[in-house]
Amino acid sequence: MKSRFIVTPILCTGCRTCELACSFTHAKDGKVGRSRIYPLNGGFKDLYVPVVCLQCEDPACVKSCLVDAIYFNENTGAYEINTEICVRCMACVAACPFGCSLFDTQQNLVIKCDLCGGDPVCAHFCPTKALTYKSIAV
Amino acid sequence: MVTVTINGKLVRAKEGEMLLAVLRREKIDIPALCHHEAVEPYGACRLCMVEITRKEWDGWKNMVTSCLYPVADGLIIQTHTTDLIELRKTILDLYLARCPNTPEIQDLAAQYGVMQTSYEQVADPNDCILCGLCTRICDRMGFSAISAVNRGHGREIAPPLKNAPPDCVGCLACALNCPTNYIKYTDIGHTREIWGRKFELLRDAKTGQLTITKEFAEYLSKHRVIPQDYFDLNDESHRKETALSLGKIAIWSREVPQ
Amino acid sequence: MKIVSPKQLEQLAAEYKKTADRHKKMVIVCCGTGCLANGAQKIVDAFAECLSRRKVKDFTVEAVKKTGCHGFCEQGPLVVIEPQGTFYTKVKPKDIETIIEKSIENDEVIEKFLFTNPKDGRKIEKYPDVPFFSHQHRIALRNLGKIAPFDIREYIAVDGYKALAKVLTTMTPDQVIDEITKSELRGRGGGGFSAGKKWRTCRNVPSDVHYVICNGDEGDPGAFMDRSIMEGDPHSVLEGMMICAFAVGAKQGYIYVRDEYPLAVIHLQKAIADCEEHGLLGDKILGADFSFSIRIARGAGAFVCGESSALMRSVAGEVGEPRAKYIHSVIKGLYDQPTVLNNVETFVNVPVIINHGADWFRKIGVPKNSGTKVFSLVGKVRNTGLIEVAMGTTMREIIYDIGGGIIDGRPFKGVQTGGPSGGCLPESKLDLPVDFDSLTEAGSMMGSGGMIVMDDKTCMVDVARYFLQFLVSESCGKCVPCREGLYQLHKLTIKICEGNGTEVDIEKMEKLSQQIVVGSLCGLGKSGPNPLLSTIKYYRDEYLAHIRDKKCPAGVCRNLITYRVIPELCTGCLACITACAYHAITGQKKEPHVINQDLCEKCGACVAVCKHDAIEVS
Repeated sequence: MKSRFIVTPILCTGCRTCELACSFTHAKDGKVGRSRIYPLNGGFKDLYVPVVCLQCEDPACVKSCLVDAIYFNENTGAYEINTEICVRCMACVAACPFGCSLFDTQQNLVIKCDLCGGDPVCAHFCPTKALTYKSIAV
Repeated sequence: MVTVTINGKLVRAKEGEMLLAVLRREKIDIPALCHHEAVEPYGACRLCMVEITRKEWDGWKNMVTSCLYPVADGLIIQTHTTDLIELRKTILDLYLARCPNTPEIQDLAAQYGVMQTSYEQVADPNDCILCGLCTRICDRMGFSAISAVNRGHGREIAPPLKNAPPDCVGCLACALNCPTNYIKYTDIGHTREIWGRKFELLRDAKTGQLTITKEFAEYLSKHRVIPQDYFDLNDESHRKETALSLGKIAIWSREVPQ
Repeated sequence: MKIVSPKQLEQLAAEYKKTADRHKKMVIVCCGTGCLANGAQKIVDAFAECLSRRKVKDFTVEAVKKTGCHGFCEQGPLVVIEPQGTFYTKVKPKDIETIIEKSIENDEVIEKFLFTNPKDGRKIEKYPDVPFFSHQHRIALRNLGKIAPFDIREYIAVDGYKALAKVLTTMTPDQVIDEITKSELRGRGGGGFSAGKKWRTCRNVPSDVHYVICNGDEGDPGAFMDRSIMEGDPHSVLEGMMICAFAVGAKQGYIYVRDEYPLAVIHLQKAIADCEEHGLLGDKILGADFSFSIRIARGAGAFVCGESSALMRSVAGEVGEPRAKYIHSVIKGLYDQPTVLNNVETFVNVPVIINHGADWFRKIGVPKNSGTKVFSLVGKVRNTGLIEVAMGTTMREIIYDIGGGIIDGRPFKGVQTGGPSGGCLPESKLDLPVDFDSLTEAGSMMGSGGMIVMDDKTCMVDVARYFLQFLVSESCGKCVPCREGLYQLHKLTIKICEGNGTEVDIEKMEKLSQQIVVGSLCGLGKSGPNPLLSTIKYYRDEYLAHIRDKKCPAGVCRNLITYRVIPELCTGCLACITACAYHAITGQKKEPHVINQDLCEKCGACVAVCKHDAIEVS
């Protein structure tokens, strides 16, 4: 059994509550963070897809990082960026084919979804349960 | 796990961890200008020096650079003794003689009550404090495009023979991690210029927004096996593409488990 | 030819001794760097040329031997006629014909080439009677001036590699280390750390690979001890390293030599090649289960590369910068492996200790400072050169008995020991025994053994300025206190030399020096302020004279001196007028001249040409 972050686009209304939740969760030194999740139009009317890091199996971001700042967190199943090590070269931002490594100009950090350390706040706030974090059999 | 005493307080730390990391975690304000987690500790700025002793040393004390000193069980650490503050003041005073107009140094010096250097200012001051972060990060990333040249007071950071560096890919890691923003670069149009070399910036195929340099993308695809076409779009366009393709699947399957 | 057993080495030694003795007469020409500069090679060529023209009974060109430095560089080129031991100094190529005719064919002594004792004006005939040599105790320099450095046979003939054979056949590594520890041999590179303890620590580190490095990066101004040893007796260095390698379990050794010593590099390369050929380096040395090879690492001459961590980085091909080492290089040194790093002189002492035993060695010198120390005696002393004395010899003996006193009988002012990291000691410290602890206590240090003697015409502020300038340009520039601090100290000394100093500056320098000592990353910075601190301590008056009276008592600092013609002594010879490039001197023939102070650039050219000492400096 492993916990997985599950996105169900069909339930998403595009209310962008998740964005707010994400920004405020990652606020630091009085500055809100840039959201790591983006509900975008999925090509059909009223279809929204919350685009967020897929925590790939062979991630391009890890491969592209020349200083080994991105590492796998065994407990949460998320790839996290150690911002202390990160040198902000933007290699991962450019390399991610899903655009889920991004640069926060406010906090001056490269960021990506870290599943909030094992308890994604956006899932709590999603009014339609389009975002859930639950245990599934692998 | 080991236990150390920091300013009279017992603190637990991981074995082999550097003292500075423990001090930072304990929210003790220790200045350090040449430290970065991505690279090996260097010990050049000498600001992070602390005083250590042990019970069995019978009052003998030693001053060490905390960025390089591995913690060990039973260490007794003082971070702000008069001697240490005096040392930091002297070092900041010396820094101010070299970099009198650098805001970062001015601020730090002011924190220690040094408003103006008491020494003779160098003839041609600039903002470089020679912390070596740029060269070490460049080495760590595997480019080694720049290096410290000359010795002693005439030391400076430069590309080989002060020509456009052949190994540079224009990633800007040196400039972005410079503690005093001394390393200058320009992004004009879709050309980036740094260290006297011009680089072509890649543009997003849809919106035309700039991403990384062509050289950097080529390096990543060659040495890190990232398909070249990943670099055709920037992160925003990538997200839009992802939404569109996932949207199609969602309509079709009604659920997308990740 | 490979030597496969200690027994064979013994036989070989006996055989080579015979070969060496076959010449009835021998001529030894010193070919150390000093003598070569004075034309020693031309002397050797002259012998060859002369002997090709004339036949001399019992004497061929093979009996002319080029050896390493004798030490008495002041009097070079040196020629010794053996077996009488007649000692000729300042020999010129044109004199060779006479020497062959008189000294070799007819056993006569040629008076004019003999050394004159400056004390009583007597001529001294025999080599060991010269006071310069008779007061010395030579252990590290035992073979210098006796054997030809280029020939391994000569080294074997003087019981070379006997200690190695002894170690390999009769001793265990632990016994070797015990012996060295018992001898109380301390590292001769400057720090004076016990060699035995260092070896023991290295041996105890569990690792497959251990390294032995010989530090031949001698960068102190005016020091040439290691250079002379490497040039004149390279095999002793190799033997010492082999014994060390056996003791600590190393298979690979490096000799770090600065490339400014080309002769040392050539001689060491030849010695290593010879050893490999004779089976003294490589696999299964002397048939024992011991393999060792040595490589030469040539340094580009940065002073800081003498520091252990910088040296090891340089050997590994990185930039020669020190790194902070809270883990000692003995435990984690070259390529992060346990490494023994000792100075050339330390290694040279090792074979002697093994051969004669630790107790014999400990009897030499003073307690805790056993053995001898090599110094390069330079500066304003009559007999400059390379000397070796037992530890605990007083400074007075070194300077007055061996050195022959100060040039022109001027008063002694100070002696600088330990190079740029050492300090200046005044006359009151002349009776200080020279050993590691006494010198450190007096505020100087042993260093690698440079000794610069200064007379009353040396300005101590200027000396401090000079050494600081040296350190400013030799500092690697990595850490702030050394890079910026020494630079500021240098600026402050310049300020005082120019007469713009204030008394606050002295305090400021002392305070800054303390912080540099505490804050610097490596030994260069930590000991960098020593010359300044010791001169302030012992010659404070001189600093104050520069500051308060705006005068340089020694007459060195240009801004603070004036040249004046003494009218009573001036004969009006016009010599100074011609010499002055700035046309600052005016006057008529046979009338006292006058120096125009506005034009005078204080170059001192007039003083040099005045035969009547009519120009005074004040």
